[in-house]
Amino acid sequence: MSPAAGPVSGPPAVDVRGLTVRFGDFTAVDQVTFQVARGEIFGFLGANGAGKTTTIRVLCGLLRPTAGEIRVGGESFHDDNHALKSKSGYMSQKFTLYNDMTVAENMAFKAALRGVGDAELKERKERLFRLVGFTHSENAMVGSLPGGLKQQVSLAAALLHEPEIIFLDEPTAGVAPEARARFWAIIRDLAAAGQTVFVTTHYMDEAEQCGRIALMRDGKLVALDSPEGLKRSTFPNGLLEVEGAEGAEGAEPGWEARLRALPGCVSLKPHGRRWHLEPATKGDAPGLKAALPAGFTARDLTPSLEDVFLKVVEPPPVKAGA
Amino acid sequence: MNLRVLIAFARKELVQTLRDRRMRSMLFIAPVIQLTLFGYALHDEVRNIRLAVYAAPSDTLAWDIARRAEGTGWFRLVRPPRSPYEGLASGELDAALIAPPGGITQAVGRGGGEMQLLLDGSNTTRAQGVAQYLDAVRRDVIQERVDHGVAGPPALTLATRVLYNPTLESKYFMVPGVLAMLLLMVTMTLTSSSITREKELGTFETLLASPVGTGTILVGKALPYVLLGLADLPIILGVAYFVFGVPVRGTFWELYVATLAFVGCTVALGILLSTAAQNQQQAMLGSFLALYPFQMLSGIIYPLDNMPKWLYWITYFNPLRYFAVLIRNILLKGGAPTLFWPNVGALALLAAVSLTVAWRRFKPTLN
Repeated sequence: MSPAAGPVSGPPAVDVRGLTVRFGDFTAVDQVTFQVARGEIFGFLGANGAGKTTTIRVLCGLLRPTAGEIRVGGESFHDDNHALKSKSGYMSQKFTLYNDMTVAENMAFKAALRGVGDAELKERKERLFRLVGFTHSENAMVGSLPGGLKQQVSLAAALLHEPEIIFLDEPTAGVAPEARARFWAIIRDLAAAGQTVFVTTHYMDEAEQCGRIALMRDGKLVALDSPEGLKRSTFPNGLLEVEGAEGAEGAEPGWEARLRALPGCVSLKPHGRRWHLEPATKGDAPGLKAALPAGFTARDLTPSLEDVFLKVVEPPPVKAGA
Repeated sequence: MNLRVLIAFARKELVQTLRDRRMRSMLFIAPVIQLTLFGYALHDEVRNIRLAVYAAPSDTLAWDIARRAEGTGWFRLVRPPRSPYEGLASGELDAALIAPPGGITQAVGRGGGEMQLLLDGSNTTRAQGVAQYLDAVRRDVIQERVDHGVAGPPALTLATRVLYNPTLESKYFMVPGVLAMLLLMVTMTLTSSSITREKELGTFETLLASPVGTGTILVGKALPYVLLGLADLPIILGVAYFVFGVPVRGTFWELYVATLAFVGCTVALGILLSTAAQNQQQAMLGSFLALYPFQMLSGIIYPLDNMPKWLYWITYFNPLRYFAVLIRNILLKGGAPTLFWPNVGALALLAAVSLTVAWRRFKPTLN
């Protein structure tokens, strides 16, 4: 494991207060307030369209907020604020390098845009390529590289001007699992070195690696805590995992509805071939276990982030009779 | 404005454009093919005018005109159909020249006469050309007779002689015009699609997220396409010169100053267009929609003087109008300064205005 990533005290790297972004009648971000400490790995989770990318765009100086205040590295938002843009690095959801240029050409263009001198470019490029593990030829056309390598170059390009805060919008979407794991090792290294990492993802195993996670839903911030804290606060009474023996389900039609109707049952959600059952209080667990039909067993389960995500972020499934 | 960023932009855009086979052919090959095709099409149009002469065999003056017309190479004498009207209606004839009863020779001998010229007016450009050709032929014949003392000065006032293009070769007139249209099309389309492509790919966000002003991004995106437009000039000019024999009477610096002012305009218009378009398709469509009125109101195909006043005023905002005058002036007449500077000035002014409007519309955010 890499050295423990840790937030540093002092003024926050990102300070968002009452941020609201409206597009016409549509409120993309609604009264969002949070702070990100320096050196933190801050995860930003939510369904598509929950307002994650919109928030990041404001923080990168790309989108004017409708209301509220933001500070990134101490810089507030105003149109064309170069200081704010200098402090942040941005790797957008869409691929942001030019496919029809070589790796070296892309890096040189980025360096010019970011005011990185030729000597610095050479030195940083070497260091960053080592950091991200890019060993391919610099003269390769970016379009010819596989997804994982493109991602490495993209990150190196976003880091070229040594930003205080790096915003990564779904950096590992469409990247092979092995490459994803490597990518997260780099993110941990960056945070350990004091850089603030602000990342959105749809992968729960990645979210686990964040210091804190903010959950967005319909433009609102609905939860903000460490992964462990989120699991505890979302499921204060734990979870039960229910499993039926072969053929048991067919023998008991309608058992799910009956179980859900019990006062001790908050929710019963299918999870692959099993079910996750949330008791209303800790004391309800034994009663629920006893109420299971023949052939079904239940055991205590430590809730995962996916359970949290499904409960807090995803729209609730339409319950029969609810 | 950051010079290093501008150079980086120039590098990037040139590399991207020249590396792309589609862009390369649009820039360098399409204009050559189009100019050649257009040039030949227009070239053929004025040849092979089928002329029927209705005159008695003894009417020497009428046949003088007919033979001289044939001698220019533009006309082909055909056997007159029974009725000239039917011949024109069926498309058998392009023009019919009819002597008055008793013959034109005698009429002129009596002090004045008139021959009737019937034209197929379904193609006005062609009809105008035919009328002008024949009129020139008629004047020549009369002049010759005056010179030889065959007849006294006939009761005719001589119309303006056609300068610079004495044979009224429309290719000399049209090829520079088409050249201007092609330059407009290529530069405007390339510029607008280069910006909208970045919007589509998402790289535009990365540009905006960089700590450079919108002015720098704008000029950075514009300058490379001005350079490419200038690089296009010698190629299409080469076709005009070598394929069509259009003379290049002006100097190269005049050509380049005029082209620079013009391409500055068209690239600025391309940027303006891309501030309204979200993707390459919209930009393309916008280019084509704009191209049509630009052509129509440029004086390249239809004379501006024939337009109603209000429409004529609109043409003052058309860069193609000024460049058409400039390029014809430089190529055919050697670049009279009285035409050169006012038109270059108008183009520079238009470029400055469009660039300013584009800059005002070019938002530093994605809002």
